[in-house]
Amino acid sequence: MEAADLLAELDSAMLELESHPQDAALLNRVFRAIHTVKGSGATAGFTEMAAFAHHVEELFDEARMGRLTITSVMIDLTLQAKDLIGQMLDSAGPATLVPACREVVESLAKFLPHKVPTPRDGKSGPGAAAQSRQRHNVYFKPHAQVFFSGTDPVSLVDELRALGKATVTARIDGIPPLANLNPKHCYLAWEVALVSAQPASKIKEVFLFVEDESEIRIERDLTPVAGPTEVDGPLTAFLNIAAQSLQAADGFLSRLRGATEHDGACCKNYLRILKTFQAAANRQGQPEPAALLGEGIRLLEGTIAGNVTMSDQTRGNLAEGHRKLTALIQSLRKDDGRDDEISPLSAPSPIAASQPLPAAEAAPQADAPRARATIRVDQEKLDRLMRSAGELLVARNAFPLLAKRLTLEHGLSGMGKEVKDAGDHISHIAEDLQAAVLSIRMTPIRTVFQRFPRLVRDICRVQAKEAELLLEGEDTELDKTVIEQIADPLVHLVRNAVDHGIELPEARAQAGKPRAGKVTLKAYNKATNVIIEIHDDGGGMDPARLKRKALEKGLITSEAAAAMDDRAALELIFLPGLTTAAKVTDISGRGVGMDVVRSNIRQIHGTTKLESKLGCGSKITITLPASLMVSKGILVEANREEYVFPMESVVQTVRLPRSQIRRHEQSYFTTFRNEVFPVLRLADHFAVNRRTVEIAWPEEVPMAIVETNRGRIAVAVDRFLGHVEVIVKPMGSDFAGIAAFLGATIMGDGRVALVINPAGFV
Amino acid sequence: MSKTIMIVDDSPTMRQMVSFTLIDAGYSVVEAQDGAEALTKSGAQSVDLFLTDLNMPNLDGMQLTRGLRAMPRYEFTPIVLLTTESQKERKMEGKAAGATGWIVKPFQTEQLLAVVKKVCP
Repeated sequence: MEAADLLAELDSAMLELESHPQDAALLNRVFRAIHTVKGSGATAGFTEMAAFAHHVEELFDEARMGRLTITSVMIDLTLQAKDLIGQMLDSAGPATLVPACREVVESLAKFLPHKVPTPRDGKSGPGAAAQSRQRHNVYFKPHAQVFFSGTDPVSLVDELRALGKATVTARIDGIPPLANLNPKHCYLAWEVALVSAQPASKIKEVFLFVEDESEIRIERDLTPVAGPTEVDGPLTAFLNIAAQSLQAADGFLSRLRGATEHDGACCKNYLRILKTFQAAANRQGQPEPAALLGEGIRLLEGTIAGNVTMSDQTRGNLAEGHRKLTALIQSLRKDDGRDDEISPLSAPSPIAASQPLPAAEAAPQADAPRARATIRVDQEKLDRLMRSAGELLVARNAFPLLAKRLTLEHGLSGMGKEVKDAGDHISHIAEDLQAAVLSIRMTPIRTVFQRFPRLVRDICRVQAKEAELLLEGEDTELDKTVIEQIADPLVHLVRNAVDHGIELPEARAQAGKPRAGKVTLKAYNKATNVIIEIHDDGGGMDPARLKRKALEKGLITSEAAAAMDDRAALELIFLPGLTTAAKVTDISGRGVGMDVVRSNIRQIHGTTKLESKLGCGSKITITLPASLMVSKGILVEANREEYVFPMESVVQTVRLPRSQIRRHEQSYFTTFRNEVFPVLRLADHFAVNRRTVEIAWPEEVPMAIVETNRGRIAVAVDRFLGHVEVIVKPMGSDFAGIAAFLGATIMGDGRVALVINPAGFV
Repeated sequence: MSKTIMIVDDSPTMRQMVSFTLIDAGYSVVEAQDGAEALTKSGAQSVDLFLTDLNMPNLDGMQLTRGLRAMPRYEFTPIVLLTTESQKERKMEGKAAGATGWIVKPFQTEQLLAVVKKVCP
């Protein structure tokens, strides 16, 4: 995490440096960033990365001493190095990056003529090492009791691998039948074919501590070391850079395709990638890609200089160049025989080694594909997929409409049916697609819950309280974005539950409760929602005290206080600036809390409900949509405008006779199944500049019972238009402050309807 | 999580030197002045590597090694002996007691780090 920040800092400093290459303060900033990356990398055990970063650091050390002027080539190299560092930190197998790193180190070394790049484990400077490269066949069979000397034989094999290019084969013929197998004994042996510039003595040194009791044979293999297909050559390094650049270019191209205005940042980054790529092509003596790249660079520079939206033609040319380049690189890859290269077999994992079951035979081979079974995907790409899948769902709404028109307006009922069937089919596929895409983003809430036991324990310790935390439904899944945003509010609520809720053990004992309090955190699915409950059996909240506090702080008037029932008084806790904690602790009580919690939850379209009983405890119920993207809704019409209510907020739709609606002063009420609901007329509520000239109620009033922050209300509409699938598009930033709407959605026929935010519209 | 290394030596200078080097290299270090203290402290927390002197009061390096190997928790944990003697017999004795390797005193910090990295990668 820290590394990501540092790399981002490095990135921005480098881009600034591009325009002010002499700026001493900037140079220092870059130097510090790289230095810290290196330092913390080494500390965290990323030694390869640290060694690599060291070379870059050296360059900037020279520069800030004034012995070197930074050129754009160096900046490109540094940015390239930065990207590699990022990948080294991300990827499970940094070994594949070694060639690319070496390439960068070599290029950097050119700028540091008086410094000889320090060869590390014979890895850098393949040119020098190539002459003396030798092949050794190493056989290593550790003593059966090797584990009891604290030695991990696999780490010795890893040391060998670090000496050069190694092909490791595990010998498993020594493994006895399961019945005779002692899991604490080592039955494995390894054969390592090692191509290395290191002398045999270095290889022998690896086994220094185990040579007496292990079987070790090191034999020189005189078959000549083959050329570039055997050893990673500069061409491979170039191809790696090419592949990365092409991938990046691909992303930029598709971003530009969607751009409606000049996207300067994107063009500049794109340009940077192309330049790096071109520099690599030139170094490698590849005129063809270099020429193609030059064309792309010219186009981009033109666009950036002109500060204009990229024309379709320019974009077409760029895309064409990109296609040619991709094909060219593809053919180079084939020539290099690298098309289907797989990384060398990894050594068996320590587990496989210490518990060598017969099945372990397949283990070394199985390791590699398993590592590739998951891929990291840019969240942006995933979001794009989500949006497309969502739009497909909405677009399919056009089919029933078309079918209807064919039947009714054109009298082609047969055709209408066919269109409808085709639409249904697409519907099913679209739903599958949506479900699949959604599932990618779903994460169990466990990731958030698991931090709470510690939190509760810590608070208890500080406050000399006793409390146990019960977690339920940790496997309940929520959209990743929701998970990320619910964490902080939950921390706050759990903290509150212990800090304010649970009483001291003595007080609990006096009240006849068990000394240890109980906090329950529970998550479960309900319809399309996920409900999270935080329940404590503590002291509960006192509505009267809340009222008093709010009055003292001038947050409410005394009339308002007098009119408030207990439930409304409890709601006061959500007002900014209100705290009831007797003293401010470092844990809570500063009064910035519940209001932030509620607004954070509202941001992810959730609602918060509070119940509390004095002396018995409090319960907070958070209702969240399981996913943010596509939702079902109910389309309604009011005052000739269309609105969508999110399905999860609508408890029920009913038609009530006019007689059942009663008026009390300015407000309307209705009774439905023995419950009283305030009635809100949507047409009036959103009527702009049109103070209602008392529109008459129709004979029968269609109403949606809707869950809001203030409890359930009945919303009277003019008409229900049916169920719809919507993707809610957030409103532009100019309208972001309007709490009444979640956003807008495009209907199947292209019209736009506003989506009501039930949590914010009353 | 950085690895925890315990340095066991009756010489405070030696402990200090080793600690300093290791902390600088990013490890967490626990110190003990003899084998007895090492056994007590190793029970209280989890140690990833032991570096121990051989000649110490109360409980010497060999006895400590045997003691640690007898604890299920440290059955397979690397133990490196710091020895002034380079004789083969002494090393073999150490190996027989369950030591992983050795460093011959006096040593350079690079040597120390190389061995630490080797046995505790």
